[in-house]
Amino acid sequence: MFLKNHWYVAAIDNEVSRTPMRRIICNEPVAIYRTEDGAPVALEDRCAHRHLPLSMGKLKGDILECLYHGLCFDRTGACIKVPGQETIPPSARVRAYPMVERYHWLWIWMGDPALADPAQITDFHWLDDPAWGAATRYLHAKANWQLIVDNLLDLTHLAFVHTTTIGNSALVNAKVKVERSPNDVTVTRWTIDAPAPPTFVKAGGFTSNVDRWQIIHFTPPSFMRLDVGATPTGTGAPEGRRVGGIGMRNLNAMTPETETTTHYFYGQAHDFDVKNSQTTEMVMNQITKAFLEDQIIFEAQQKNMLQVPNAPQVDINADNGVLQARRILDRLFQEEQAGVRRTVAAE
Amino acid sequence: MTMASNDRWQRVAARAEIKHGEALARELGGEPIALTEIDGQIYAISDTCTHEFALLSQGFLEAGEIECPLHAARFDVRTGRCLAGPAMQDLEVFEVKIEGDDVYVRKILRNGG
Repeated sequence: MFLKNHWYVAAIDNEVSRTPMRRIICNEPVAIYRTEDGAPVALEDRCAHRHLPLSMGKLKGDILECLYHGLCFDRTGACIKVPGQETIPPSARVRAYPMVERYHWLWIWMGDPALADPAQITDFHWLDDPAWGAATRYLHAKANWQLIVDNLLDLTHLAFVHTTTIGNSALVNAKVKVERSPNDVTVTRWTIDAPAPPTFVKAGGFTSNVDRWQIIHFTPPSFMRLDVGATPTGTGAPEGRRVGGIGMRNLNAMTPETETTTHYFYGQAHDFDVKNSQTTEMVMNQITKAFLEDQIIFEAQQKNMLQVPNAPQVDINADNGVLQARRILDRLFQEEQAGVRRTVAAE
Repeated sequence: MTMASNDRWQRVAARAEIKHGEALARELGGEPIALTEIDGQIYAISDTCTHEFALLSQGFLEAGEIECPLHAARFDVRTGRCLAGPAMQDLEVFEVKIEGDDVYVRKILRNGG
């Protein structure tokens, strides 16, 4: 099940060019390319005539010509030429998806185009802000997108899955607070006076214990923006005083491909050494290493869930935030099914 | 915690630790309890959801009701009464007394002890 009336990330800016690319989003094939003046276009990747992916075709100027019989489509999805005849059947058109380029990502609206308002695009400004060093990458996961939302909402797993990078055993007993409102969940975790994990030692040079925060913000359908960092212990971070240390944003946008696969776009921004590209690369490589460890986890979960469909599952205390987010998503699915038009407030 | 002589009252918290709108998790004789303040009065209930034993103090306190963080069962924090499933059993409630800044709690004995 997918929530359709939302902006999703379809691609990273450097993936989109004058060569059309194909991506399946919420089970719909999409062809994405740039016009001659660089504007991104997203069309249904299936010729109206005999279903061939239009992404296999040729871009002539801003017109996409189907590889099979040469039908030509413009950026609005209208067929403007059928080789060998003067008339164009009025039904010869493909769907055009609203698309916006922002924060180095291409955003696509999968629902009713009349409801597509770019002001509702989730704020990921850290990816494109001179006050931060940042990078972004893509990971294809053979797992349902909600398994990745769950993974990011319960960070106790860092102590078990990521001990060579961002995790250590101190995290298991973090002080956790879960706050919720109708359309978002925030999980705030503090680990006080504990060793810094390897990634933080590399990034912050910590030689003794730290106070570490992880503030996880979920907005539907699948945007996870984490405010993370640490300072030397006892310098007042839990009281709001930031003295040295490091601050980062771990930014996640999961776009459903199918019910069991996901386009996972992620970014890491840092507020220290912002102009140092080696720092940017180092933290991104650390996070990527951790995310590849997560990939093993959620792909194995998905495979097992397909092996034993609808098996029951038990919740533990750490699932508070996970379950609050699932409840919001369930409610939004029901509302969308019932045809209620609702705009989720953009951050 | 100081043990009051032989009247079973146990000091579990300072009054100032119980913040409006938040349940405070404490223990009474090894059992998890949750303390709340409603309209200036302090109440103590079992902190273990009767459904799957989640900690209610990690849940959501709204208008004298606490919602379990896991499956959204609801309980009246004053009476322990179960108001919404999936839990089916009421919570144990405890007696509370305040002396100065100290909050004392004790189990309610049913056979007049």
